[in-house]
Amino acid sequence: MSSHATNLNLDLQRHTLDNGLQVVLHRDASLPLVAVNLWYHVGSKNERPGRTGFAHLFEHMLFQGSANVGTNEHFRYIQQVGGVANGSTWYDRTNYYETVPAHHLDLALWLESDRMGFFLPALTQENLDTQRDVVMNERRQRVENQPYGGAGERINDLLYPPGHPYHWPVIGYMEDIAAATLEDARAFFSSYYTPNNAVLSVVGDIQPEDALERIESWFGEIPPGPPVSPVVPVATPLGGERRGMIPDDVSLPRVYIAFRAPAYGQREWYTADLLAAVLAGGKSSPLYRDLVYGRQIAQDVGASVGPQECGGTFMLVATARPGVSAAALEEALLGHLAAVAAAPPDPADLERARNRMLTDYYSGLQRLDTLADLFSQFATYFDDPAAGLAEAERYLDVTPRELMEYAATWCTEPQRVVVSVVPRKAS
Amino acid sequence: MAAERPRVDRSVSPPPREIRPFQFPPFLRTRLPNGLAVIAARLPNLPLVSLELIAPAGAQYDPPERPGIATLTSSVLDEGTALRSSLEVAAMAERLGGYFTTGADWDVGYLTTGLLSSHRREGLDLLAEVLTAPTFPPEEIDRLRRQRISEILRRRQDPSALADERFHREVFRGTAYAEPLQGTEESLSGLDRDALLDFYRGHYGFDGSTLIAVGDFDPAELLRETEEVFGAASSPGSVTPRPEIHPTPPREVSVHLVDRPGAAQTELRLGHVGVPRTDPDYVPLLVLNTLLGGKFTSRINLNLRERHGYTYGASSRFSTRQGPGPFTVNAAVETSAAGASTREVLHELRRVREALVEPEELAETVGYIVGVFPYSLQTVGDVGRRLETLAVFDLPDDYYTHYLRKIAAVTREEIQEVALRHLDPERIAVVAVGPAEILEPQFEGVGPVTVWSPEGEPRAAQPLRSS
Repeated sequence: MSSHATNLNLDLQRHTLDNGLQVVLHRDASLPLVAVNLWYHVGSKNERPGRTGFAHLFEHMLFQGSANVGTNEHFRYIQQVGGVANGSTWYDRTNYYETVPAHHLDLALWLESDRMGFFLPALTQENLDTQRDVVMNERRQRVENQPYGGAGERINDLLYPPGHPYHWPVIGYMEDIAAATLEDARAFFSSYYTPNNAVLSVVGDIQPEDALERIESWFGEIPPGPPVSPVVPVATPLGGERRGMIPDDVSLPRVYIAFRAPAYGQREWYTADLLAAVLAGGKSSPLYRDLVYGRQIAQDVGASVGPQECGGTFMLVATARPGVSAAALEEALLGHLAAVAAAPPDPADLERARNRMLTDYYSGLQRLDTLADLFSQFATYFDDPAAGLAEAERYLDVTPRELMEYAATWCTEPQRVVVSVVPRKAS
Repeated sequence: MAAERPRVDRSVSPPPREIRPFQFPPFLRTRLPNGLAVIAARLPNLPLVSLELIAPAGAQYDPPERPGIATLTSSVLDEGTALRSSLEVAAMAERLGGYFTTGADWDVGYLTTGLLSSHRREGLDLLAEVLTAPTFPPEEIDRLRRQRISEILRRRQDPSALADERFHREVFRGTAYAEPLQGTEESLSGLDRDALLDFYRGHYGFDGSTLIAVGDFDPAELLRETEEVFGAASSPGSVTPRPEIHPTPPREVSVHLVDRPGAAQTELRLGHVGVPRTDPDYVPLLVLNTLLGGKFTSRINLNLRERHGYTYGASSRFSTRQGPGPFTVNAAVETSAAGASTREVLHELRRVREALVEPEELAETVGYIVGVFPYSLQTVGDVGRRLETLAVFDLPDDYYTHYLRKIAAVTREEIQEVALRHLDPERIAVVAVGPAEILEPQFEGVGPVTVWSPEGEPRAAQPLRSS
């Protein structure tokens, strides 16, 4: 697999402006495009109970214009030159990005710097009201009106204690979204949307010196904000299995089994990620082979671990075939966990999982926007953007024995959350 | 230490610098003596390759009593070959560091694999093996059929799937496009091994098929390897002439409510029959649709989302198929605003027919489609899909050389002409999936209303007059 790494151009440049803005530059001129990507180190974990969902609502507000950019003009400016733009909010961070034809780099920098430096004058009650409605509809679409849509919230609710910032959903609770005020928005912006709390990655058909000069011109005059103190949540041990059952408008039961996992970036996080791929990645994985293909008690299976700063969530999920109960499915999933905790997995399964993960990883790197996002991510979390290019190698020396030890240590009964979604009529 | 930098002017958007022109990647297009067409393009950025084989075996060929046969046949292809079992095929692909999938859309059946380029030859061998030597094991057919029936059960609670299904049943009544791609509970029980084998032999012949390869390789070398691998194999069968799909246009607007009491939101679909991808109006229609509902700043999204806050997003599209695919407006809206959203969409459809679009609006739309073209060609898969378009719709080699110029030449008058010709707000089907009791009064005056159960049974007293 080392042939991959040698094919990647590792030429990265890193700078920090006087106001604290971190800049990552990488030239890739295979297409006449440039990806501009900004990570603000603020997410739903910086919220407080009663005001959940604010980081995400705020992301919507940042597309509503700034001192020199009118409401909805951000998208118009980007789209009319053939660019794409969006943003997303997660537990630990919020990102904003656009990919534009390379000769329009200044346009993207103008738009991003205008909302970083000159957002407050454009903040209005009217824009806030509209975006609250949009976000409430987003929540309906993604959660309330989605079969199995409530499971994710229930899992976090059980897995993390009240007050822990992963306890509540990124999109927030309906009543909190409705309660957001202009005052909240102003305070949130001034605390977190500052150059010293952000990373800007610019990747594509650029000359790095020239790009840096332009970034200095657009962002250099924005004053730094107050230092942002890290969120250091305390998660006391669960102290015993916790269970939830959600009657829903579904005909096939689904079971989720979740555990807390190590923080993203630690060696054991990569072990967890590899374990997920070994157990349920692809048609030749043991969970698929046994539950879907062999016994045919599941319609689908999955396993994953989230890349969260304060500890991930390792999760198994399976949807039942008609006539199969949630309890039977749970027993089957737990059987596989027990097996991998008792004996190391077949090295062939490990090899296949690793190959798949590497191909997926390198496939992602074909896109400039993915590359830029990766640099911002690694600079934000680990202060080392270049490490993003070598992340795939972190899976190479994980041993079958480590996978077993992981399952035996992190996936035990007293640490377990089980949530099942069952047909409403049967409950 | 640096000299004082002149302050930037933030009051206006900065001007562009010099444009670097973009060229579609060169590709090789030829046909082997056995009839198999080959298209290959080199993309050297990363050591990856995408290989796809397409055959004229899409769901448009499903006989009326056998919806789902095209997609089921394609799914069974990689479930066992003369050399390997189902799990061995999957394990082989994963060992090569990739994936292997088979499937069918409306036009074609496809076999796709994505691999590390060092395993290209093994990938070609596996493709050929799955295409030419599938064994259709009865137990695998049975398993896939049952899995599919469970999937159909699950879709009954998925508001978006329910909306799509009801919409296509109304718009394409009596044609293959009316049925779900994956078939129905009734049709699946009749799809046995003989039926699938018949379909396979009648649609996967080399004569109508194309291999599309994109990645880090020399195209001439790939062609030589393809000749070695496929030249030695015998064609799986013949091809079947494409069926004509002619839905009967409705006479008025009709409203179809799929009842989900207590649902938190309403899924909306509005639309009618569109045009085949090969319609001479395709280019101006693409520009029209992008302006109307094909980008964030489109009229429909700005109206429903940004002006009214009814939805998280609304969009429209002309689905591109060999036959006349649907024109669809799509949104999940607040239930109390379903009627109002419908009226706003109808208003936008009428408005774009009645008046010329603004010159700036057209310029912005053309700028978007032209500018975003290279963005849509970043990966081996992206380029593969564009080459597939040439093959599926029989477009000339120089199609992408002229494509952007044709987009840029579209005029306001042409937009209005094609809007008048291909958008018909007075003969549209409206589907709303949500609580019927709350929805029904909102559609008074829009058109006759029929209420359906999620299982597809009509419940209303009022019959559907347009059928």
